[in-house]
Amino acid sequence: MMNKFILTLIVILITINTMAQKPILFIGGIAHIGNGEVIENSAISIKEGSFDIVADANLIRIDPTAFDTIIKLYGKHIYPSFIVPNTTLGITEIDAVRASRDFNEIGGVNPNIRSLIAYNSDSKITKTIRTNGVLIAQVTPRGGLVSGQSSIMFLEGNNWEDAALKVDDGIHINWPNSYYTTGWWAEPGETKENKKYSKKIYELNRLFSKAKSYYSSSEIIDLKMESMRGLFNGSKNLYIHANSANEIRDAIEFFENFKVNNLVIVGGEDALKVSNILVEKNIPVILNRVHRLPKSQDSPVDEPYIQAKKLQDKGILFCLSYEGDMEAMGARNIAFTAGTTIAYGLKYEKAVQSITLNTAKILGIDHLVGSIQSNKNATFFISSGDALDMRSNNVEKAYINGKEINLNNHQKELFNKYK
Amino acid sequence: MILRIAVILFFCTQIFAQNIKPTNGVSENYQPIFAFTNANIIISPNTKLENATLLIKGNRIIAVDTNLEIPVGSIVTNLDGDYIYPSFIDLYSSYGVEKATKAAYNYRPQYQTSKSGPYHWNEAVHPEISASSNFKTNEKTAKEYLSNGFGTVLTHNKDGILRGTGTLVSLSQKSDSENMLLTDGASFYSFNKGVSRQKNPSSLMGSIALIRQSFLDAEWYSQQTNQKNLSYEAINEQEKLPKIFSITNELDYNRIFKIADEFELDFIFKGNGKEFLVINDLIDISFPVIIPLSFPDSYDVSNPEATDWISLEQLKNWESAPFNPGILATNNIQFCITSDGLKNSKDFLKKLRLAVKKGLSHVDALASLTTTPASIMGIEDKLGTLNQGMLANFIIASDNIFERGTIYENWTLGVQNVISEKQLFDIRGHYTFNSKEFNNKKIIIEGNKSKPKTTFPFLDTNSILTYLKGDNVTIYTNDGNFRSTGKLIKDKIIGRYQNKEGEYFNFSLQLDSLLQVKKKVEKKEDINHTPPVNWLPNKSFGFNELPKVKNIYFKNATIWTNEKEGILINSDLIIANGKIIAVASFLDPNEFFTDNLFETIDATDLHLTSGIIDEHSHIAISRGVNEGSQAVSAEVRIGDVINPNDHNIYRQLAGGTVASQLLHGSANPIGGQSAIIKLRWGSSAEKMKIKNSDGFIKFALGENVKQSNWGSFENERFPQTRMGVEQVFYDAFYRAKSYKKSWKKYNNLSLKEKRKAIPPREDLELNALVEILNSQRFITCHSYVQSEINMLMHVADSMNFTVNTFTHILEGYKVADKMREHGAGGSTFSDWWAYKFEVNEAIPYNATLLHNAGVVTAINSDDAEMGRRLNQEAAKAIKYGGTTEEEAWKMVTLNPAKLLHLDSHMGSIKEGKDADIVLWSSNPLSVYSRVIQTYVDGKLMFDLERDRKLRKRDLKERMRIIKLMSEDKNSNQKNKPKKIKEKLYHCDTEYDE
Repeated sequence: MMNKFILTLIVILITINTMAQKPILFIGGIAHIGNGEVIENSAISIKEGSFDIVADANLIRIDPTAFDTIIKLYGKHIYPSFIVPNTTLGITEIDAVRASRDFNEIGGVNPNIRSLIAYNSDSKITKTIRTNGVLIAQVTPRGGLVSGQSSIMFLEGNNWEDAALKVDDGIHINWPNSYYTTGWWAEPGETKENKKYSKKIYELNRLFSKAKSYYSSSEIIDLKMESMRGLFNGSKNLYIHANSANEIRDAIEFFENFKVNNLVIVGGEDALKVSNILVEKNIPVILNRVHRLPKSQDSPVDEPYIQAKKLQDKGILFCLSYEGDMEAMGARNIAFTAGTTIAYGLKYEKAVQSITLNTAKILGIDHLVGSIQSNKNATFFISSGDALDMRSNNVEKAYINGKEINLNNHQKELFNKYK
Repeated sequence: MILRIAVILFFCTQIFAQNIKPTNGVSENYQPIFAFTNANIIISPNTKLENATLLIKGNRIIAVDTNLEIPVGSIVTNLDGDYIYPSFIDLYSSYGVEKATKAAYNYRPQYQTSKSGPYHWNEAVHPEISASSNFKTNEKTAKEYLSNGFGTVLTHNKDGILRGTGTLVSLSQKSDSENMLLTDGASFYSFNKGVSRQKNPSSLMGSIALIRQSFLDAEWYSQQTNQKNLSYEAINEQEKLPKIFSITNELDYNRIFKIADEFELDFIFKGNGKEFLVINDLIDISFPVIIPLSFPDSYDVSNPEATDWISLEQLKNWESAPFNPGILATNNIQFCITSDGLKNSKDFLKKLRLAVKKGLSHVDALASLTTTPASIMGIEDKLGTLNQGMLANFIIASDNIFERGTIYENWTLGVQNVISEKQLFDIRGHYTFNSKEFNNKKIIIEGNKSKPKTTFPFLDTNSILTYLKGDNVTIYTNDGNFRSTGKLIKDKIIGRYQNKEGEYFNFSLQLDSLLQVKKKVEKKEDINHTPPVNWLPNKSFGFNELPKVKNIYFKNATIWTNEKEGILINSDLIIANGKIIAVASFLDPNEFFTDNLFETIDATDLHLTSGIIDEHSHIAISRGVNEGSQAVSAEVRIGDVINPNDHNIYRQLAGGTVASQLLHGSANPIGGQSAIIKLRWGSSAEKMKIKNSDGFIKFALGENVKQSNWGSFENERFPQTRMGVEQVFYDAFYRAKSYKKSWKKYNNLSLKEKRKAIPPREDLELNALVEILNSQRFITCHSYVQSEINMLMHVADSMNFTVNTFTHILEGYKVADKMREHGAGGSTFSDWWAYKFEVNEAIPYNATLLHNAGVVTAINSDDAEMGRRLNQEAAKAIKYGGTTEEEAWKMVTLNPAKLLHLDSHMGSIKEGKDADIVLWSSNPLSVYSRVIQTYVDGKLMFDLERDRKLRKRDLKERMRIIKLMSEDKNSNQKNKPKKIKEKLYHCDTEYDE
């Protein structure tokens, strides 16, 4: 009886305390807004989980008594959360351990599959990603022709339900390859034209025709068809994983015919070759990992590094991703891939934008996150130095939904134990 | 004349047919003389007789000359200007030999041989197999060879590594016994294990080691009496035979030559058609080569995007390939031509003629098909020319066979084989047609002599194909209203036809006048005989010529010395003759060079460092990085399989990397020997190796060596646990110790005692382990968790050697003190983890912690992509744990140099060290920094500005060849675009054949 009372009391106290919390003010930091702008001496406050004041400290007057806490950040950097799109973070733990891999369902056509419910909010990997400034991820299933649905998660929360930022934000399709490689990976043969290319497209055609018909007329519930409803009413994105120019062209034309509007190209190795179409139709691209090898032995050595700058010049909306080998644990390096694009011509704030606001726009969450702007969700971090350079990326504080998160992880613990 | 007849008679008595086999019926032993008159006879590549006669009897040529008297009773064929050539010899064939078949797939791995009997332990080594024992004449295949002009082939079982012997056979319809000219003509070798399902060898380097050990074992076998082994006996019996080694890739030439050199053997190469890429090597090696004519077809280049899948390398090889035979001839390399490898055997003469158009002379072409193969086989007294006494193997052709001649007949062992019937009659002309139905109608027969066409202006205006066989003529109209059969008699065609009502009528066609055959003016094709120039290597970004050593004065740079001077601001550096000459805050170049023989580079705001050294790399390796078929494979050597043409070399130079340790993978506890190379793009494999560098070997621990992630059925190779791994090491080193002892004992014997004693068997695997015990070879050990790291140090301590380097070493931070005490260094990933269970406690602070504990620490790539930006990986040591910039930079330069024992001449900017220098746009550890120039040995191997020019040059070259390809008429079947996929190795890459 007594115990219960104490417990209740504590709960009440905490509640009161939270409710009474006044805004926190961060003053003097170099704020990288995420939209391409920077405020060298910023005043940023957060209130009830959102950004309130976002201003140049030189231009406004601040009443210090209005804040519970004032954090001085002179010389330090503030960034909105880096966002990693198109990742298996949280649905895989150890690549070589089958029991820990939850990202690839069998069946080939799985629009109804949802990554959300497999998301492990206590993944040891996630804790090591946050410490480099990544606080939001689009958790994405892999494999098959239609992999399933991704969800966008805050990298904090006791369970997937609490961590979800946007549930089932889109369906991922692996557009068929028009070329395939013979042999196997250790002994690859030549790459040949995929004779099954049109057959696969026919398969997609059947699927979408059926889904469209279902959308307008069904009386019974079909899980696959039901999951695709959102593609036709505009509530879900369609992520088309495609790399070759002809595949991108074919895919865009295909889905236009089905009046699927929210198209996103994922991969986009050849995006530059079809830039006119992407610009004209306003289709964004989630790029392959910047730190990759050039497409072929004939490609310029800096081809992957320089792609971002060239797409920027063409006016294509793009963001960076980290898809590929060891993508979950490597997601913490996404900031450094943005750094590389700067060495190859992209402006600094544009590079920041390519892992913050651009990503949010493409994923359809820019009204909530992606930049440090009034009323947006206060999910951001403070780094003592330039966060895009390995030498100075040092995340001192990070906030998700306005709450400071614990930046410890098992790697830091081991370091502290053995140092 | 009397003498000549006497000689003829002499030959007649020599060949009197006698049958061994009982005859079913009466014997047919009369052998007439055949005389071929009025022929152009090409007796040998350099001897041609015009208007000459060839006499044969039985299976021999009894005379050949102009003005020969034809013996009475001869069967005479007037060839009327046709050509006679010696028929061709193909030394690379599997004609009439049963094809080896692969056993059914079994999901369980096969580590032991499945063969019974006293044979070699490896199924791919079967020198005892003789093609002669299962040879059977095969008419269908023989026909294919005969139609291409071949009369004799050396045939063998194209399977395995030591393949056994081939037998030299004639392609006649005679009995197998008569056809077999040499039972065991040559022994055959390759690097491909063929149908064997036994795991070993799983890599090219494994094949090489297997061959070397087999030769050693055969030698040892002959000195002992304790055991019998038919395979080793066969190797020893084949000592005197010609040895034909089939290559897969042109880089194999040097690999085979190294074996030849080691065992003092001469080989004949069977090439792949890309000899033009290694022509200088072939000149040096001076072994004969058997080359195929499998020139690549042109690609379909109509779709520009699809054409991008075709590499410039493929385009350049397509252009050069037909020049290959001519190039070999020009360089005086002895070569034969084989019809092997053609997609369609009917293309042989077409391809041969293409080679002739591209510079192969008729003399060389014929020699490569006749006299050269004959002399290689030691049968020049029987085959290859048409001299008196030789076997009657010859072809009759309508014209010069290297230009346009059609082969009519191919005689083998004196037996006629008709290839295509010679059209003796020419029915073309203007005729008058007469029958009961039609009177004096004019018709015309025109077209080709053997494929004439008839036009009936009174029935049908179309010209209709007319069948002609000998003097039999079939004329008909397309509507079927007129169908006839006739015979040419002098200047008339007389026959019958059937009209649409079914009535038969006799007809005659009277020749009025011969057709004026328009002589086609042969279009002189505009042919360029100059072979295309090879780049170094012959692909995108290859050099037109190798960069030369430069004398350079770098002015006003920030110089990261890696020495006690630290980072020098606004300082100068001078390099000359491939070395660093001076580094100081101010240098006057005129004190070092006379006459301004140097280049000045203003490096204001730029940074200069020594080049990056990658301690752990798997680039530039051909056909397999792991020989994981055995727990211990110390005998294999990466140095045997360096691929100097890997474009990752150029990519990594562009990232400031100058040297790499090319390591064996981690599939087994004791892997293979490393190669340490400088990235000398454009040079050969041997030239890439760093001279006099210490030997290294790969060891490995943990999940990979116990096959944890190889699937459920890979649980048969010992060890399967870390406990077993320890025992593998103890066992290996105790074996090595007793091996060392037995050699010592043997070497201490007196000469006399040695003669009586059986020497120990030389074991390549144990040789390498003994080198480790003797501190002549050093270990780089793939490792993750602390338990096994500690274990290996205990093993080493007990054996009195040091583990030089633990690589990956992700839990090194837990045993850093023990490593320092033992004397081991660490080469780690900056931040990889979570890919295997054993890397759960891998932390990015590892490098810093190891360094702080006093362990020499490097950061490596193990990855072709990361190998081109190791500067960024080094910078992570600053972020994780707070290593200083200077120390972080050493982790990818000086420290790996130390771990590889290269620091006496590499790894820092110090007077006297190699000029392996990188010029950076800013602080090299910054993510914003770019490589401007990379020097190796003072040669400019990467240069941002030149790179831009090479891109333009490559595009220009690509477009030039695409234009040629679009215009190409030699290739009617067009290739679909294909792309070679990147071949990238990591430690875990298990198999490659």
